[in-house]
Amino acid sequence: MSTLFGLPEKVEFCKSCVISNQRPNSSVEYDHTAQSKKSTIHFEKGICDACRTAKAKAKTDWAEREVELRNLCDLHRSRGAYDCIVPGSGGKDSFYAAHVLKAKYGMHPLLITWAPHIYTDWGWRNLVRWQALSNHVLYTPARDVHRLITRLSLENLLHPFQPFIIGQKSLAPKLAALYKIPLVFYGENEAEYGNPIGDNGSAKRSKAYFTSHRINLGGVSSDELRHKYNLTDSDLDPYMPADPSSLENVEVHYLGYYLKWKPQDCYFYSVEHGGFEAAPERTPGTYSKYSSIDDKMDDLHYLTTYIKFGIGRATYDAAQEIRSGDITREEGVALVRKFDGEFPTRFIEELFDYLSVPQFPKMTLDYFMDLADRFRSDHLWDGKRLRHVVTD
Amino acid sequence: MSLRTRVIARLDIKGKNLIKPVRMEGLRIVGDPNEYAKRYLDADELLYMDCVASLYGRNNLHQILERTTREVFIPVTVGGGIRSLEDVRRLFNSGADKVAVNTEAIRRPNLISQIADRYGSQAVVVSVEAKRVNGGWECYTNNGRERTGKSVVEWIKEAVNRGAGEILLTSVDQEGTMGGLDTELIRSVASLCPCPLVVSGGVGTIGHVKEALELGADAVALASALHFNKLTIGEIRESIEKQFPSERSQARGEEARPSR
Repeated sequence: MSTLFGLPEKVEFCKSCVISNQRPNSSVEYDHTAQSKKSTIHFEKGICDACRTAKAKAKTDWAEREVELRNLCDLHRSRGAYDCIVPGSGGKDSFYAAHVLKAKYGMHPLLITWAPHIYTDWGWRNLVRWQALSNHVLYTPARDVHRLITRLSLENLLHPFQPFIIGQKSLAPKLAALYKIPLVFYGENEAEYGNPIGDNGSAKRSKAYFTSHRINLGGVSSDELRHKYNLTDSDLDPYMPADPSSLENVEVHYLGYYLKWKPQDCYFYSVEHGGFEAAPERTPGTYSKYSSIDDKMDDLHYLTTYIKFGIGRATYDAAQEIRSGDITREEGVALVRKFDGEFPTRFIEELFDYLSVPQFPKMTLDYFMDLADRFRSDHLWDGKRLRHVVTD
Repeated sequence: MSLRTRVIARLDIKGKNLIKPVRMEGLRIVGDPNEYAKRYLDADELLYMDCVASLYGRNNLHQILERTTREVFIPVTVGGGIRSLEDVRRLFNSGADKVAVNTEAIRRPNLISQIADRYGSQAVVVSVEAKRVNGGWECYTNNGRERTGKSVVEWIKEAVNRGAGEILLTSVDQEGTMGGLDTELIRSVASLCPCPLVVSGGVGTIGHVKEALELGADAVALASALHFNKLTIGEIRESIEKQFPSERSQARGEEARPSR
């Protein structure tokens, strides 16, 4: 049976969590076109790389890692000028990162945010709470350009979240170079969630994620964006990667390498120290209401992963919580079977308005579902029914 | 309104574990519920809530309940995932004294009268998960995850009409914070609640307990403050005894409750 995006033909679920072998690894989005083949999470003896990483991580000597962090901070700590950048949304993880760096390690962070497509009310309130900690830069790309690139990403890749991901990954190093700030601290390493294990032994983020020579946005080359869609260099500037030569004095680190990182604990911490607010209801397609809640586009993003890979938001959430010991696999299976793939009705009209740009037909439910069907791989879907669902 | 004041230890359960969320999210594992129950023997009542029963569509408390009620001899109220009279029967057989219903009662309000008709109103507690919305409070289900569109005030009136013997009112916004109860919520509900009102969500100090009782609550349920050793039942009892005598002290013929 043929598969789309180079996905593995035989579907397998991790025996330890609930993720399937169809989960793509994080990749360099600038290379992403409609023809791209995905590399997917590696399984060994029925167990996924993310679970094996989590197991290996349990043996980490955190005291030793903290010494490494103190040394790194001692090397760069200023007398008051900015000495590190903390990128984030003001969610529970970035709140924790900024607060702990400031309060415990005496750093002077500049907080930066690449704006979500459409803020939720509670996401905006959490951002404001985060701003209590330090100066903050909110970088917002021009709305109509961003809408166009988002629509292109949806049309070509069924990936409406790509413009957000690109901006999120490239902004911090660029601002670090601009402000001459030596350190950038992200939270967790993507490898925690299942990139090749080789990625995970280092605190530093690979520069491949934010520097690149070939540039595609929404699956369209930068040349085509300039000529066919009349975008200018300044229109494209927010999406362009950093000039590698400007990054010689910038180090990008994962705080999750140095500190034992548990999303649930970040939630408790940010409620206690900053009044962080969970969403007023669970996110469609999952059971949780505290992670990734600031962008209305998130609702649609996880629906598209469900269509392309058979993996919805509940699967991602449950897999992570199983690995951190918050729920059992049995609970995870029940949650996935109950919530994965649920259609997100709450913001759908607003999202379709946002996606309705003049260069394309108006976005409607019928248009969206027809488009989505082109991204359903036969090995995963029998019509609109998934062929393989995780079981106990 | 009852004439006696109760202090209730609330144990939120997931699977075999005692858990403690914050604002009904982040279901942190605290320990073995039975061990904690034994620490709260001086409470007037225990409240066991299976937080994920409705979420997962299952009901799992019998085993824990049977273990606890072999060793603990104070009244136990049990809630979470109760969908039928059969579920209720099994819980009573396992040692429960009262049952608390929310998700299924909202879906099928007749469940309240069915339980009340079979076991009496005193056996049925309607649990209300109240979240602040524009200018009022909305009922939530599935442990604070699903909106229902129902107004808390209207729903409590309906629940009482259908035979609820007690209302357990939990503030989703304050739950797990130890930052104080939602006093406006208690004030809005106390006057329209002819049956005992148990309030929960946000107690972190003895002052919070007193405040709730002064606003007209008949009982206060605490979790974080007890589990994390911020307060003990004994010290709460001692501080409020004069103003709000307990069932136990009344049973022993101690000082009568002053009129309010």
